[in-house]
Amino acid sequence: MAVYALKRILLAVPTLLAVLTLIFIIVRVVPGDPATAALGDYASKEAVEALRQRMGLDKPLYVQYVDFLSGLLRGDLGRSLISSQPVIDQIRFALPHTIELAVAAILIGLVLGIPVGIITAVRRNTMVDYVGRVLSLAGLSFPAFYLGILLLYFFSVRWRLFPTLGAGNFSDPLANLHHLALPAISLGLIETAYIGRMTRSVMINVLGDDYVRTARAKGLSNRVVLLRHAFRAALIPIVSLVGIFAISLIGSSVLTEIVFSRPGLGRLMVGAIRQRDYTTVQSIMVIYACFIVFINLITDLVYGLVDPRVRYE
Amino acid sequence: MAQAEATLPSVRYVSQRRRLWRTFTQNRAALVGLAMVAIIVFVAVAAPLLAPHDPLEQSVVNRLTPPSEGYPLGRDDYGRDILSRIIYGARAALLVGIVSVAFGGLLGTAMGTVAGFRGGRVETTIMRVVDVMLAFPDLITGLLVAAVLGGGMTNLILAIGLTIAPRFARVAHGPTLSLKNKDFVEAARALGARDGRLLLVHIVPNVAGELLVLASLWTASAIRLEASLSFIGLGVQPPTPSWGQMIRDGTIHLTDVPLFSLAPGIALLLTVLAFNLLGDGLRDALDPKAQA
Amino acid sequence: MNQQRDREMHELAAAVAGGQISRRALLRRAAMIGLSAPVIGGLLAACGGGGNEETEPTSPAGEGNGSTATTEPGETPSGGAPSGDRPVLRFALDAADLGTLDPHYASSTPDRTVVDMIFNALVRYKPGDSSQFEPDLATEIPEPEIVDGKQVWTFTLRQGVMWHPGPQTESYELTADDVVFSLQKSANSDTSAYAAEYTGMTFEKVDDYTVRITLDTPLSPLLFLPKVANYSGGFIMSQRAVEAMGPDAIKTHPVGTGPFMFQNYTPQNTIELVAWDNYFRGAPKLAGVTLRFMPDPSSRELALQSGEMDVVDGISEARWVDKINAIDGLTADVFGVGEVTFVNFDMSREPLSDVRVRQALAYAMNREEHLALFGEPVAQSVYSVAPAELMAGGLTREEAEQAGVAYDYDPDRAQQLLAEAGVQNLTFEVVTSELDSYRKHYEALQAQLAKIGVTLTVNVVDHPTFHSLIRENVNPIVIYIAFRPNPDAYFSQFFHSDAIVVTGPKPNTNFSHYDKVDDLIEEARAETDPDRQVELWKEINTRILQDMAAMPLLYINQVYGRSKRVDYGHELKSSLALYPQITELTTITG
Repeated sequence: MAVYALKRILLAVPTLLAVLTLIFIIVRVVPGDPATAALGDYASKEAVEALRQRMGLDKPLYVQYVDFLSGLLRGDLGRSLISSQPVIDQIRFALPHTIELAVAAILIGLVLGIPVGIITAVRRNTMVDYVGRVLSLAGLSFPAFYLGILLLYFFSVRWRLFPTLGAGNFSDPLANLHHLALPAISLGLIETAYIGRMTRSVMINVLGDDYVRTARAKGLSNRVVLLRHAFRAALIPIVSLVGIFAISLIGSSVLTEIVFSRPGLGRLMVGAIRQRDYTTVQSIMVIYACFIVFINLITDLVYGLVDPRVRYE
Repeated sequence: MAQAEATLPSVRYVSQRRRLWRTFTQNRAALVGLAMVAIIVFVAVAAPLLAPHDPLEQSVVNRLTPPSEGYPLGRDDYGRDILSRIIYGARAALLVGIVSVAFGGLLGTAMGTVAGFRGGRVETTIMRVVDVMLAFPDLITGLLVAAVLGGGMTNLILAIGLTIAPRFARVAHGPTLSLKNKDFVEAARALGARDGRLLLVHIVPNVAGELLVLASLWTASAIRLEASLSFIGLGVQPPTPSWGQMIRDGTIHLTDVPLFSLAPGIALLLTVLAFNLLGDGLRDALDPKAQA
Repeated sequence: MNQQRDREMHELAAAVAGGQISRRALLRRAAMIGLSAPVIGGLLAACGGGGNEETEPTSPAGEGNGSTATTEPGETPSGGAPSGDRPVLRFALDAADLGTLDPHYASSTPDRTVVDMIFNALVRYKPGDSSQFEPDLATEIPEPEIVDGKQVWTFTLRQGVMWHPGPQTESYELTADDVVFSLQKSANSDTSAYAAEYTGMTFEKVDDYTVRITLDTPLSPLLFLPKVANYSGGFIMSQRAVEAMGPDAIKTHPVGTGPFMFQNYTPQNTIELVAWDNYFRGAPKLAGVTLRFMPDPSSRELALQSGEMDVVDGISEARWVDKINAIDGLTADVFGVGEVTFVNFDMSREPLSDVRVRQALAYAMNREEHLALFGEPVAQSVYSVAPAELMAGGLTREEAEQAGVAYDYDPDRAQQLLAEAGVQNLTFEVVTSELDSYRKHYEALQAQLAKIGVTLTVNVVDHPTFHSLIRENVNPIVIYIAFRPNPDAYFSQFFHSDAIVVTGPKPNTNFSHYDKVDDLIEEARAETDPDRQVELWKEINTRILQDMAAMPLLYINQVYGRSKRVDYGHELKSSLALYPQITELTTITG
């Protein structure tokens, strides 16, 4: 097992390198460059050229590439082409907001989703099951951005319960929670749907397992069987799958951050793509990619644990 | 001998399909999903018969009029009938959903099965590519492709397809690994079947069920993704009616005429829900434990 | 606190009187302890060093209000609590992030908005009314003289104007050195996006408070003054701050002389400005301005409705204006300057090279429909590219009709012209920006052209891609929305052969590849008699329409929503920076 794990970890390195190279190429293939983006509708050829030069975009591509990689090795992500601020500072500001939102959304998802999943699994093919499943399917069928706008309209404008600006100051935890509430709920409801569905199917699997049947046959009460045996067995796959939801959360958090005027990694990324801020796009992708490669690695290892055949060869 | 090679697995396949169909039809949610998908497909195909107006007919002086006689959902920014655009919007949604999943699904399945079947360097290379592709969150991939190639139906399908492919590859890869050592595959190989044939006849049908589930669920996601990209402004080409674009346009009028964004929103919700129900039902039907 | 300042002030005065420190040093130290300009002026006068000190007649009641510039607006403005006794204005920008705060590059509306509050220029457009010039850093608007065949403009600078303290520079008094440095920076294409506007100009310091600008070719005041006004290259930057910080740092920490001083910038989130109490027109009535990046229009509107924002960039639609006005406590402002929408035809390619085809397309366009997309009074139809509705030299509807170049909607005529030209099944493929303002025009145009059997395929790309692609001559038909301050700017950038995209000697935005009025443009530019100049501009406008290089559709005004508690402190008719202009007189009441 240890050998397999080591092998997989070593394999993650070239994957990351390939991702980085691909990113480097993609952002530069995109038509439009940061100089034109920054100058907008006043951009004359002359002005664009001058600005390109200042941004260092007139250097040969391979020089820029080597700069990028060697910077990375030194832990230097470079400076934003647009704001000239160190990219690391921008990320340091945005990342806590994204993590906060993701954690809150997953917590809401776990708190609401697991009970829904267990109940629908136990009461399979009853009315409760159908309602629960359709509701959770509806939850993940709805675009997060639109749910966010509806929440904004009702909770902030109609009922004035929450602020429309979805981000507070970390130094004031209470106000911060107040700001966090709506964006977290709009993503959390979607997470609830995912986690509820997954819990249900994992629970159904477990409930069919021999040892659960045995436990039941031994005359243990339903509650004990459920919580002590079935749910405990189901917990491992649930927890490991939550990691995968974290990935999908990155995608859906982008629009939530925009709708709630909330700083965050997703919004930073979209803004950087718009402005063709190559260094910032690259750097955020480095973080995304590391995160995702890491999660995939974990999944692989878990898979290897479960299905030993994978380790052969 | 050749006969044996052909019948051995196909018997297995047919019986599995029958059992699948039976459990599927017993699953009410799945049937509802199937019925909904059928209705949506019907709406898309019969759009010219169902729509009260030409979805492209502009009448700018009548723009943004609330629901009225003959225009039950009102008119949009260009004075076009919103109901007709929602009906025609089913075409864009299905086209994007189905074609992108077909493209991504085929590509991914090919990658996954070939990798699993061939093993060795081919496998390593392909699965590395898959890992690289997986490293891009779906909306971000969409944004990048839209930025490189621009919006529009083709690019959208390409973007979404590329997001989907690695997911299929991963799902197809695992079972292929365990299948290739199964007796019936080895038997067929011993009987001299070539790799391509082995893959198509013996491996793919056996992972097909799981891929079908995935396809159905990803069709739902693809439709939602199209809406998200349209919301940022990079959806299908104008004047093609698209629900995502309609939600975006309608959201600006949320506080005075909520219907403008709610109506396409509900159409989107129901369609995505339909494919999710269908996928769920398929999954239940396929999972032997779930039938117990 | 105040007692201590008083003591310092007395010490300073004594030091000056005793000849221990210079006037300059006094000014710097006075500014450092946070004295406002009028107080310093009084101090100088008391020391007998005031000389011809210019006193601003419009000095606000801020006098003697010696509060320092250290009040910090909270990071989260939701409470709306004023810091100190002055409120902080919360302002929502329609942007995801900044471009640059170097005023010589700033070009997007949010960038110009911020820069406008921080910097001054020699002259300025009157706040809220861009049709009038008034002195800003200069004491008066000079008359040009001709010396050795060259035109000379001599500006006398206001005294006692203090720079904001920067991250690496202390506050110091603005002098001719700064003005010359800054204008030279504007004229240098390595350090400015507007260098082309300053060719043939030299700048020199006569003494600390006098600057001389010499022009190789004379210009009328209408063409010259914008170059030294508070817009683009005209903004005066601090020589010491720019030299100390370098061209990159200055992009995100501007150092100016205006009523508001840069405090901090959180990318994609907020920019915070605080009052500069030494502002030469008096201390601002606001404690500061917090600008928030809110790219989603619904979110901006909802934040205004919920009271979390005081001023928001609105949606340029009459419908939105009505909606906001109907809400208690809110109002929407519609103001200039209008941005002109015109459709450029690339006449270098078939079949648009045939004037009949271009005219046919023009007749197929329905100004009424384009207008209805935005609604009056937010938008108005225009009949020339540099329109009479916005500037002298444009054609009114009557003038265009008399000249036979009004191109009123006439689909029959369009089809007839197409038949005469012998073209059938015309198809064009274009890209549009994803921004609604562009997409709406293209989508309306698409339906109009379909009516005469012309197919327009429209591909949506993101905004920067759009700007790049049209400059690569991808579109046969380019819809452009632009404000330029005078007809010459429109003509030189859009209709002079030098500016032809890709192939021109100085490629700019001549998308139509039009080259038939170069002489006229140059003649008009050099004309110093204002009446004759206007005549020439009208002639150029007419020629462009006769040759149908571009079809003018409408201009769109700016729309902002605000809480009625906000008083801008000026009547809001037009603003070049395209925002309602926050000045030292802006307040929030109640």
